[in-house]
Amino acid sequence: MRFMVFVRSPKPLAALHTDTLLRAGVLLDAGDLVPHAFGVSGYWLIDVRSWEEAVERVRRIPLPACVVEIRELPVV
Amino acid sequence: MGATTSVHRTIDAVWRMESAKVIAALARYVRDVGLAEEMAQDALVAALEQWPAEGVPKNPGAWLMTTAKRRAIDQIRRRENFNRKVEEIGREVQEVTPDASEGIEDEIGDDLLSLIFTACHPVLGTEARVALTLKMLGGLKTEEIARAFLVSDSTVAQRIVRAKKALADAGVPFEVPEGPELATRLASVLEVIYLIFNEGYSATQGDHWMRPELCAEALRLGRVLAELAPKEAEVHGLVALMEIQASRAKARTGPGGEPVLLLDQDRSKWDWLLIGRGLKALERAEALNQPPGPYYVQAALAACHARARKAEDTDWQRIASLYQVLAQISPSPIVELNRAVALSMAFGPAAGLALVDEIAGEKALQGYHLLPSVRGDFLVKLGRLKEAKGEFEKAASLTRNEREKTLLLERAAACD
Repeated sequence: MRFMVFVRSPKPLAALHTDTLLRAGVLLDAGDLVPHAFGVSGYWLIDVRSWEEAVERVRRIPLPACVVEIRELPVV
Repeated sequence: MGATTSVHRTIDAVWRMESAKVIAALARYVRDVGLAEEMAQDALVAALEQWPAEGVPKNPGAWLMTTAKRRAIDQIRRRENFNRKVEEIGREVQEVTPDASEGIEDEIGDDLLSLIFTACHPVLGTEARVALTLKMLGGLKTEEIARAFLVSDSTVAQRIVRAKKALADAGVPFEVPEGPELATRLASVLEVIYLIFNEGYSATQGDHWMRPELCAEALRLGRVLAELAPKEAEVHGLVALMEIQASRAKARTGPGGEPVLLLDQDRSKWDWLLIGRGLKALERAEALNQPPGPYYVQAALAACHARARKAEDTDWQRIASLYQVLAQISPSPIVELNRAVALSMAFGPAAGLALVDEIAGEKALQGYHLLPSVRGDFLVKLGRLKEAKGEFEKAASLTRNEREKTLLLERAAACD
């Protein structure tokens, strides 16, 4: 199952914090977006076995205070 | 009720994420992966008892690790001969703090690597290696492995028990092999991962959903291995091969589930994200400047197709020369037959026919329907229809696949 994880923060964080996901073999893509006051600042695209795993994986990332939104991608 | 099941799903997820690390760290102390796996299972049972009532701890991985290590001490205390080990583990338990897992990534990496090499040890048969790898590294349950391989739970359970015993009997050390041993041991690991991938890739529509899940499992294992052993070109080669093959998953069967050949596939259905990842993994392999291994070459072949947006754009000359490289490192008449096809695409049917006639006497190809089928194809293109007809009929008599047989007889009839 693929999940897009959106990170909302004043400064981009996603591209900096890929190590944990990379080592786990679940990271498909990551990137930052052009800053936009407290909007989405970056994303991770991950491939995991369940929604719960997506949540647990994201919880392990040592992030400073920010809001994270996890969305499942449809299976076409 | 709802809360309980959600906790259970979280426990499932945590288990799959953490079990390999827990087993690996324990195995380093008890020097017995079988025992380590049992202690980890004990910790899982404890989690299933406590977490639904008390909530999931902040650092569930460290919780599992500490609990498993305590069980290990209890168990070892009962055996007099292990006094020294008790001391070691006792010290370690004191050291485990909730944040311990962050600072010791390298150590965890070494343990994980040792676990992979142990689970894939050549003293075990392939089925045992596959089952043990999925169980200990993928964190799959026995039932899940059974569903995926279309065998009974007890068959898998027995395989695992026997495999653990075989490892203990052979006194397989828990370590990362070095020197000349590394190459053969790594080959055994890569073989297991690719077997898991292919098992999932060959799944058909009616199969249990667990079967295609094997592809994803193999890909994750491969990617993890690529981070643990980044200097091994063949690891990146295998990852590249799997990413590119997986990219075609949605294009390789038609609406009725019938297979669609590579050149006939709708390339807009290919997963271009996975292709990009595959090409990047291939670059990582190339950057290491090591002599090409079989996975690298197969990945490079797959990449030739992946780079072509249209089938007509395929670089057949490069494919032909890659098959030549593959024929040198793992010679087989099948590879030669593929090379003949590539040669005909690159330089015309006469070039292909020349190679086919050269290898036609090979023992391994006798009774192989693709030899006359390919030969017939070249002959059609050369306008030698009468000879082609004979080849297609011969091919039809050799294949056991009914659909293929019909197709070949149709081609034979078309030659009149």
